[in-house]
Amino acid sequence: MGFTFAVESWAPEYGAQLEPGDTPNRPQPDVDVAVERERTEWAPIAPPPAGPEHVAFVDGIQRIDARVWITNPDGSVRMGICASYAAGVVRCNGVAKAEAIVVGRSLIAPQVAAGIDAMPGVDFQPCSTATDAPEVLQQALEGRRRELEVEAATRGAGAELVVLDGSLSGRTHVGGAIGYLKTHQVRYLPDDLHLLVGKLGPGERTPVFMTTTNWSRYSWYLRLPGPADHPWSGIVRCEAAETLTPAEAIELAGMSAATLPRYASAPHKDPRAPQNLYPIAGLERELRRYLGDQQLLYRALRQAAARTAAA
Amino acid sequence: MSDPLPEELVGRVLGTDEATPLDFWVAIDPGHYLQLDDVVALERDLPGGERIRMFGVVSQVRARHEGARFDSDVFLIADGKLPAEVSEAAKVLATRFEPEVFVPPKPGSAVRKARDEERDQALFFDRMEKKLAIGLSRDGEPLYVNLEFLDGTRGAHVNISGVSGVATKTTYATFLLYSLFHSNVLQHAHASKAIIFNVKGEDLLFLDQENAKLEDAQRLRYRQLGLPAGAFAQVEFWAPPRRGDPNATPWISRRDTGVGSFFWSILDFCRQDLLPYLFADAEDDRAQYPIVIHNVMAQLRRCTDAGEGGVNIEGQTVRSFAALVDLISNRLTDEHERERWAGPAIGQGTVNAFLRRLFAAVRHVQDIIRGDVPNPEKHHIARGSQVTVVDIHNLNDRAQRFVVGSVLREAFDDKEKQGPEGHLFVVLDELNKYAPREGSSPIKEILLDIAERGRSLGIILIGAQQTASEVERRVVSNSAIRVVGRLDSAEAGREEYGWLPAAHRARATIVKPGTMILSQPELPVPLVLEFPFPAWATRPSEAAEHPLPAGVGTAADPLAGWMAEA
Repeated sequence: MGFTFAVESWAPEYGAQLEPGDTPNRPQPDVDVAVERERTEWAPIAPPPAGPEHVAFVDGIQRIDARVWITNPDGSVRMGICASYAAGVVRCNGVAKAEAIVVGRSLIAPQVAAGIDAMPGVDFQPCSTATDAPEVLQQALEGRRRELEVEAATRGAGAELVVLDGSLSGRTHVGGAIGYLKTHQVRYLPDDLHLLVGKLGPGERTPVFMTTTNWSRYSWYLRLPGPADHPWSGIVRCEAAETLTPAEAIELAGMSAATLPRYASAPHKDPRAPQNLYPIAGLERELRRYLGDQQLLYRALRQAAARTAAA
Repeated sequence: MSDPLPEELVGRVLGTDEATPLDFWVAIDPGHYLQLDDVVALERDLPGGERIRMFGVVSQVRARHEGARFDSDVFLIADGKLPAEVSEAAKVLATRFEPEVFVPPKPGSAVRKARDEERDQALFFDRMEKKLAIGLSRDGEPLYVNLEFLDGTRGAHVNISGVSGVATKTTYATFLLYSLFHSNVLQHAHASKAIIFNVKGEDLLFLDQENAKLEDAQRLRYRQLGLPAGAFAQVEFWAPPRRGDPNATPWISRRDTGVGSFFWSILDFCRQDLLPYLFADAEDDRAQYPIVIHNVMAQLRRCTDAGEGGVNIEGQTVRSFAALVDLISNRLTDEHERERWAGPAIGQGTVNAFLRRLFAAVRHVQDIIRGDVPNPEKHHIARGSQVTVVDIHNLNDRAQRFVVGSVLREAFDDKEKQGPEGHLFVVLDELNKYAPREGSSPIKEILLDIAERGRSLGIILIGAQQTASEVERRVVSNSAIRVVGRLDSAEAGREEYGWLPAAHRARATIVKPGTMILSQPELPVPLVLEFPFPAWATRPSEAAEHPLPAGVGTAADPLAGWMAEA
């Protein structure tokens, strides 16, 4: 291996958690609201009567199995993480079936040359970062996961509508895909149109608009059915690739409004209802199973660490 | 998700439930299935390199959704909104380890269905020198018992429990007899005999007639068992005389030829000490009257032969049971005779208790204990054929006990004299009546004798009852082979059925006619078997040669619908 390492005795969950894609000092987005309708004609749009039969949902999960301290031959000590991540597709076509599940495990640390073979079948591949700052390690992990999601989406593609959980950022090349965002940290619309979002009825959506931050994409808001506790309950935002024509983006928006409400979850089954869709919640549970038992991996890593120290 | 298993494998031992050497769960590959009673085999290699072969029988199968957390998730899954896997698993009860190193199977071990030789090994059939066909498994394979546990070599007796009407106890007992006599495994089969007491209906009165309505599918099942499909070769039928008929014609309605009427002559009754069998109700230990029975019996023994079954007692000729009872009554109530007949220092109350019981018997037994018919020896149950059917279903309870007690006593004594060559099989339903758990009676004594000593004498009891909990423990515990048909669920929970694993116990409450659960000493798991429809007639309409025009006597039929289902 060429280095020794020790496993941080604090539970990995105590590490810094960054919200995905959350960059401080985000510039105010540049918005073109006239993609589908003129600004003066903005109004809720009812979904088309029928949506696609064949939908695929793509999602991934990640887990830090252990934080490690790596001692290089020159005596320098760096922080790193051992992480497992997985991605897969749920194909809903009469029955919901999880498929194209891929699992990855990485040792993420600065200038790491070799991985860690923790136990048979569990091999943490090396993944070098520039520094050992926690947010850098975290972003590297997210990057790996998103790569895996794209891989799963490519392998499981072929549906009329492909819903990628999370932003479409960096994944715009997946055909027929929309990004699906459950949380709203940024206001994209000007104040008058922003109010319209709160007035959407279940299944209704806003007209499609184009937004540009450090990248451009089509976007629209959609309200899922569920208890209306506050004006923004059940609101999700979808994204489509900039490379599409406006007509294609509008068609995708229509399909999403016709389809997604069907998969909205109920509050007693999911704490993130209704935005956390049933197929995605089911897929996440299935993926977690594929990651393996965290306690077992943690123990295996400690044993591997003991072996390197002894060698 | 996982790669498909090779064709011959059905699944793998799962690791989310404990695997033990006694039982373990097998996750079933989606492309295969296991059903109840399937026989499986697997291996485990020990660290030393030794390979342990394990065998077992499926006792339970389950299916569930993996990935569902709430009961209502099933609707989401069915609607295609939530991904889930259906997982099927089978619980296996281990039957055999070869060699006997009792380690648990390892989770992940591949499990296959045991076929042919492996199946024989799993069920110990390969170790049975003489195996007796007892029925077919659900998948149509023959099942056997080790004859050594039936013929007295290492064990004897069969005990069958089940609800009347649906458990087909008597039919199964008859099938076992048929298999014994026709499978060429019984030593001295030619010298072996059977007595069947017919306690209800007239189903057993056509044992010598082939079942003309037997379907080809059922014939095939006989062939699979290595048995011919036919009737019993040599059968004699005995029925009690019609009530009040001076010619003593047999009292049956569905058959008019080949049935003899039986009764005991007054002479036999007196000489053979049969009086106690009239007092067959459970004895109260505090009762004094049994001493009177034995004294009167001693007096009766001194009678002289008056010809044609009658007797002469102290100058008086007696030709009917009523007259005999009158005579006994006179002697016992006579101040001077009482001490001689009843015994010294017997109080009038004790004598009255005896007489009260004796008088109560008159009406019920006067037709089967008599001295008024010429050639009474022709009415003695001869037991000359391979199978003797004694019909007692028309008789009152007390008379039934008398007949069973007297016939068994005589058969037991004969067998004791004759020696153990050849077997005597006794088929008796309603054991709870003849050998009840509480109290003691002369008939119970005989049955206990058979249960405990019959094995060495070659007398094999095939007993049946609705509820084993009401039968003398020693009779049941001496039976090497235990069988249950449909059981009442309250009864199935009793300790008498402790030999049934929980899953089999639950199944016993739902099995249909023609299905039995059988346990034998060598096999740690009971076998669930189906036996073929009788190849002999069970009613006139099935008889190949009609002893009576069809349509006569159509009693409620416990086998109705069985043939259609099977």
